Amino acid sequence: MTEREMSGLDAVGEGPVSSDVTESASTQSTGDPSDHPSVEALLERYGDAVSRHRLNAGDQWVVWIDPTRSHEVLAWLKEDPDHLFDMMSDVTGVDYGKGRPVEVVYQMYSTTHGRALRIRCPLPLDELEIDSVCDLWKSANWLEREVYDLFGVTFRGHPDLRRILMPSDYAEGHPLRKDFPLRGRFSRAEQTRRALNQDVERYYLAEDIVYGEPQYAPEVGTKGSQDGEEG
Amino acid sequence: MGLGDVLPGGGVSKTTGGILGPGTPTFLTSKVDALINWGRLNSLWPMPFGTACCAIEMMASAASNYDLARFGMERMSFSPRQADVLICAGRVPYKLAPVLRRIWDQMPQPKWAISMGACASSGGVFDVYSMVQGIDTIIPVDVYIPGCPPRPEGLIYGLMMVQEKIRQESLTKHFEHRAEDPATVGAPRANDEQVVGLTGPFGNSTRQERLSTGDIPTPESDEAADTIVT
Repeated sequence: MTEREMSGLDAVGEGPVSSDVTESASTQSTGDPSDHPSVEALLERYGDAVSRHRLNAGDQWVVWIDPTRSHEVLAWLKEDPDHLFDMMSDVTGVDYGKGRPVEVVYQMYSTTHGRALRIRCPLPLDELEIDSVCDLWKSANWLEREVYDLFGVTFRGHPDLRRILMPSDYAEGHPLRKDFPLRGRFSRAEQTRRALNQDVERYYLAEDIVYGEPQYAPEVGTKGSQDGEEG
Repeated sequence: MGLGDVLPGGGVSKTTGGILGPGTPTFLTSKVDALINWGRLNSLWPMPFGTACCAIEMMASAASNYDLARFGMERMSFSPRQADVLICAGRVPYKLAPVLRRIWDQMPQPKWAISMGACASSGGVFDVYSMVQGIDTIIPVDVYIPGCPPRPEGLIYGLMMVQEKIRQESLTKHFEHRAEDPATVGAPRANDEQVVGLTGPFGNSTRQERLSTGDIPTPESDEAADTIVT
């Protein structure tokens, strides 16, 4: 009988693997940075801010950055002509639980050079704060609001940091955190009462909607819809 | 013995002919209840409140293969003001709960509600912080349709159960049966104990620990500290 290669189905019988096991393997840097010009340049220029780098799934480069310098590094990645990561595809967060840091993940793409890059910033649980990148990418606005809503990460300098998915008067915390109970913190009776007491029209205030404002034009101020209303 | 002798009624006319031909009665008697119920149950206008995959089955029920028009329900009423039966098809998150309640309050009497599928009836697999655990905590429900999602036959059977319910109704009992207190508009339908009872853990979720860490966190407001923790 010939030995066959391990397939994904072979692990099904073993059940879920504890995240502790994979953690030790994942703390090492993998991949050859010379394959990806941006990772190579990042290590060269901001080597002290990079804690590690990793090659995921064959072609996805992941670089861990010191959160205190994230804005500086991301601005350089966006504006340097050799990199020009002009598209912020996604800003999201991960809570690994057990007191480990919450990571803010930036998924970027350079339409000029055709490269993707993922930047991760680990934030300790007692200091969930990071600089907003709304001034660099407009698309980060709602994505950062989502991370704030679901993980409780505060984005310094965000023009409009409030909840986006959960009700605006939600008082139970940030649901995607590992210390958040599955069914929420209040009883179902309290949740139902609070839900029905919502003012549904406050989500759609007429003054929030500004028609005809060229808010996506680069020469207009970076503050979003609030300022355009006055002018 | 002809039909004229069997059917209730009168005014037999030899010259103009009756409703079933010469010699049959020219009018019939019936109960007002039967007439009104017959009219209501054959022109139920549904208010579709489709939020998930159940809505696809609801649309299939209205399309030509299953053809709800056979029962007088082809006119989906997208205005609650002109609807008779609310079909809640799909999961309802807490953020949508006041919307559902307002639509129900906007529907004129007489009105009926159908909870279509597992999620609308009990929360289904979504036994989580964001999901209403059965719309019967918010509005009164006449018919629950099981399934995930129910097939169009299931929805049609549910609607026919509503028709059967209408057939049993009577004008003399109707108003007290359907009376609504304006003070309850927008309020939860059930009291706290009933809501907790209705939304109790089902199925696999009973094995889930309430807190993943085992620590009880302090609620962020004092008001919350007084509430029941299920």
